[in-house]
Formats: sequence, structure tokens, C-alpha cells
Amino acid sequence: MTAIDFEQLVQPHRVHRRLYTDPEIFGLEMTQVFAASWCYVGHESEIPEPGDYRTTTLGLRPVLMTRGRDGGINVLLNRCAHRGTVVAGEERGCAKRFVCPYHGWTYSPDGSLVAIPFPADHPAKDYSTLSLGRLATANYRGFVFATLNADPEPLECWLGEAQEALDTIIDRHPGGQIAVMGSPQLLEFAGNWKLSWDNAADGLHATFAHHSYNTLGETVEVETVLARDPGSTPMLSKALRNGHMVVDQRPGIPQGPWATMRDVPFREPLESTLAEAGATELLDLATGSMLNLSLFPNLIFVGNQLLVVEPVAVDRTRLQLWLTSAPGAPPEIDLLRLRVDEDFVNFGTPDDLDMFERVQRGLSIPEMEWIDMSRGLPDDSTADGTVYGPITSEAPQRRYLAHYAELMTTPAKTRAL
Amino acid sequence: MTVAAAIPPEGPSAAASSDQAAVLARYDELGELLAGMDDRPAADPELWGPASAALLHEARLLDAGRFEDWLGGWTDDAVLWVPLSTPAHPGSDQSLLLDDRRRLAERVEWRRDPSAWGQQPPSNTTRIVGSVEAWPAPRGLVTRSTLLIDEHRHGRQQQLTAFQIHELVGDDLRRRTKILVVPALGTGVRNPSFLL
Ligand code: FES
Ligand SMILES: [Fe+2]
Repeated sequence: MTAIDFEQLVQPHRVHRRLYTDPEIFGLEMTQVFAASWCYVGHESEIPEPGDYRTTTLGLRPVLMTRGRDGGINVLLNRCAHRGTVVAGEERGCAKRFVCPYHGWTYSPDGSLVAIPFPADHPAKDYSTLSLGRLATANYRGFVFATLNADPEPLECWLGEAQEALDTIIDRHPGGQIAVMGSPQLLEFAGNWKLSWDNAADGLHATFAHHSYNTLGETVEVETVLARDPGSTPMLSKALRNGHMVVDQRPGIPQGPWATMRDVPFREPLESTLAEAGATELLDLATGSMLNLSLFPNLIFVGNQLLVVEPVAVDRTRLQLWLTSAPGAPPEIDLLRLRVDEDFVNFGTPDDLDMFERVQRGLSIPEMEWIDMSRGLPDDSTADGTVYGPITSEAPQRRYLAHYAELMTTPAKTRAL
Repeated sequence: MTVAAAIPPEGPSAAASSDQAAVLARYDELGELLAGMDDRPAADPELWGPASAALLHEARLLDAGRFEDWLGGWTDDAVLWVPLSTPAHPGSDQSLLLDDRRRLAERVEWRRDPSAWGQQPPSNTTRIVGSVEAWPAPRGLVTRSTLLIDEHRHGRQQQLTAFQIHELVGDDLRRRTKILVVPALGTGVRNPSFLL
């Protein structure tokens, strides 16, 4: 096997279609990116009680997030140490112990093996080597990240400058309290997972791909500055270290985000209740922060949703959209959030899903090899490695792909603890 | 606990809170209609004919892309609700969508927009309605039926099974409530924007 030349595939101004179409590259990514890098797993509010758990995947690996008896959070490989059976079959639940359905090996929520049935003829005396595989885990203000990297950098280093944006998103919630609601919207598309990543900080596409959303419900078409030239708005994009990205729309909407809100169902009665309580300034909480933060490789903050990117195959991706709530705010805020966040999912996200599938089909053409990503060059980075630009700059795409290429070429040692 | 019970009694004025109470009452009504469906007694055979005619008519309008005509068959206090799983409550669980009459009208407008890429080109759908049951309700009738939706778009096919609950009111059996439960939404669906 010849090594894949990522320097050739990821160039400063263009990238090769193979990144999106080659199953071999996809296979490598599942370890080099999704196992060797910190990834978002879930939020602690989803598993409040000891024994609570939720399952997901990281780089196709079945994973289990549990709350231990000591209240600590564990991220485990959902794979029996005996013959390999996936131990927890439900998406979520509460279990005092996890009993493997195949031959009854029993694990505690922290992953340690507590019992093998009929132990007399099993030679194992020391069960500590037969635990569920464990991932290095870090909890940043309720957001749980994990990695299989044998020597992970501290989470705060990995977050880097993105930590400030994450803090801003958390701290806009009264008391810094943010929680995640139960069931996610699950949307699949026939395309590579990086297409959602190319899109996350793409400030240009809204003018074109989301034209119908921008005009929905309007009787006259208002020519906004976004329509004339999105690059001339005071909105800002930032390409951060480690592939993280920020689009800060706040400077472009001085009137506050609620003023831009469409007439979502049941808006008026909930709004008037807040007005009567003298709490209209809280209405901005019912919309997103207008600070779109993407933590490479799998967590994108959009509106009040956490968009988790779950690769399924080289040409298939599942998006999990988890709605966050504000437990410290009056209940009207969460009631509004439910209707607000489904608005874009219904009338904006379908545009993106369609573009992703169109791109994937276009990239199937072998004779057309390159994807242009040169808008905004040259990139001037500041001392901390951040590249600032207008929202039309493709610096975020260039920078995350450069980081990606680095991950793909760095020998990664992954292991279960 | 219902969401209504979670609202603190102090704070909002009586007028505002009664506005809000109406929203919460509607949400509770939807949650209970869904939750109680499995426990209903055998259906009323007298109602099967009119219920079936209304449901088949709706399916035909949607498959034919006659969205304006379909919109005309809803009441002013209409709600179309597509939860993500069951049981679910519209005020405490995320849904795929919950539309009032206003957003239903926008949905129809959206289907006609040549730049609404999620439905341009539009999905070609065939709905098969089955297992129709109907019961009398205070303002008309309540039905439960199953649904197979076959969708073709961009040369690809997707088939979804679902069940749907309708509250049909008045002599002309206008749709006041529709709950569409699609189990595949719990595992992942490709561009579900054809669902109505
Ligand atoms: S595979 Fe789990 S007990 Fe045998
Ligand atoms: Fe988009």
C-alpha cells in the first residue's frame, strides 16, 4: 500500500475530491481524527442520576456515557470484554449494572467487571483487566469530551481560543445553567461528513442556498446588506487553532437576535407573558447566541442546538441536533426555543442537506479533481494562530483542513484505558 | 408533570397568563391525544366511511401537490405536529415540527418557492393509507390510521411507514389536529421536508 500524500491532497488554496470519496481515507479518519482527537460525547444534564447512560458512536465505535455511583462521568467502549457483544442496546436508560445479554458478564456503570457467571471454571482471578474499554474523559462545564488518544493534550489546550466562545455561549444562560433536552432530531445525508464541516463557518452560502428562508413570510423582498455583499457586513469569522471555527454574527445585528425572529407558532402569547413580567430582555435567550462555534471534529453550535456530526460511511453522514434549554430562565424561554429551533431545521437545513448531496454527486467525477477554497487569501494569522476575516472568507475551511491534514499524517497511538 | 403546572403562579398578568395557558392547554391536548391512542376501545364502524374518505382525500391532495387546496382544509386553530418519538409532549420534547395555521401557510408558500432547494425539484410521493379507525369526538371525530409514504427525489427512493392521528371537526370534517408519527425519525431520515 502506498501512503496517501495529504500534502498533495490538501493544498493552501484547494483540496482534492478524494478526501470526500475515498473509503480508505474515510477508514483512516475514523482513527486519526475521531479516535485520536478530543470529541464531544454528550452533556452531563442528559445523565443526571447514578446509573443513567446514553449511547452514541465515536469514529463508528459504539460508545457509552454513564454516570457512576460516585456521580462521576465515564465514557466507555460499548463492547463486552468476553466475546465483543455490544452491552447496552438502548439509546438511553438507567442501569444499576450492565449485564451482557450474551453470557451474563456484569459491569458496573464505571465499566469495571463485577461478575462472571459460574466463575469456578473461568481462570480469571483479577477482573481488572476485563473491564469495558475506557476513554480519557474531560468535562468542561457540563460538556463531556472523550478521546482514545494514548497521550491526549489537556482539554483546555485543545479548546484553546475556542474556550472563550464556549464560555460566552454557556454564560448567556442565567446562572450559567445550560441543559440538553432528551430526543435529538436525526437527519441523514448521502455525503461525506466534512461537507457539514465546510458548511459550518460558510458565511457566503446563506445568501444563495438559504435565499428561500431569508424571504419566507415576507411580502416584499427587502434587499439586505447580506444579499448585496455578505463580506461587507461587520460580521466576523475566525479560524482558530485545532480546526475550531467561529462565525460571530453579533456585530451585524445591533438590534439583538430576537428582533430578527420570524413569526414562529405561539410566539405572541409567550412573548406577551414575558412582557407582562417585565422580562422582554430575556427574549434574546429564545434565539441562538449568534455566535456560531464549531469544535472540530464533531460539535457545531447553531441556534440553540448542538449539531453533532456523526460519520456513517464515506458518503453517508448522520446529523444529531440536540436542543439546549435554559433551566435558570422563565419557562417561556424553553417553550419558545422549541418552536424557534425547528423553524430553521424545517426551512433552512433542507437547503444544506440538498447542497451536501449535490456536492457529493459532483465530486464523483474523476476528471474534475479540485475543490477551490481560496477566497480571502492570503491568511494573516495573529500570534495565537487565529485568522480573522469577513464571513465570506474561506480561511476557516482552509484552516480546519490544514489541521485535518496534520492529524491524518501524525502517527496516532490510540488505546482503551 | 404537565408544562402548565411548571409555570409559576406569580409573575405574568392574568390576561397574559391566560394567553399562555391556552397555548399550554393545546400542547397538553396534543400530548394526551397521542398518549391515549393505544388504549382506545374498538372504533365506531359507522364513522369508518366518512373518516376514510377524508383521509384518502388528504393523501391524494398531498401526492398531487395540491398544497393550497390541502391548506384550505384546516381550521384556524390548526396544529400539525410531527414528534420525534412516543410518548412525547410538544412543550417539553423537541419535535421535527409543530405548525400553527400561520406556519402551515408558510410551508405551502415554501413548497412553491423555486429556490427552496430542499424541495426543488420536489419529492414525488405516493401515500398508502390503511388501518383506518375512527371515534366520535366533541367537535367531530378522531381517527388513527397507518401510512406508507414512498418518496422519489433526485433519482433516489425512500420509504417511510408512519401512523397518523387526525382530529376532524364540523360537518365538512376540517382538520383541526394532525399528529404524524414516523418511527424512522428516531434513527435518521434523509431530508424529511416532504412530510406534511
Ligand atoms: S459476549 Fe458478553 S458475556 Fe459473552
Ligand atoms: Fe446553511
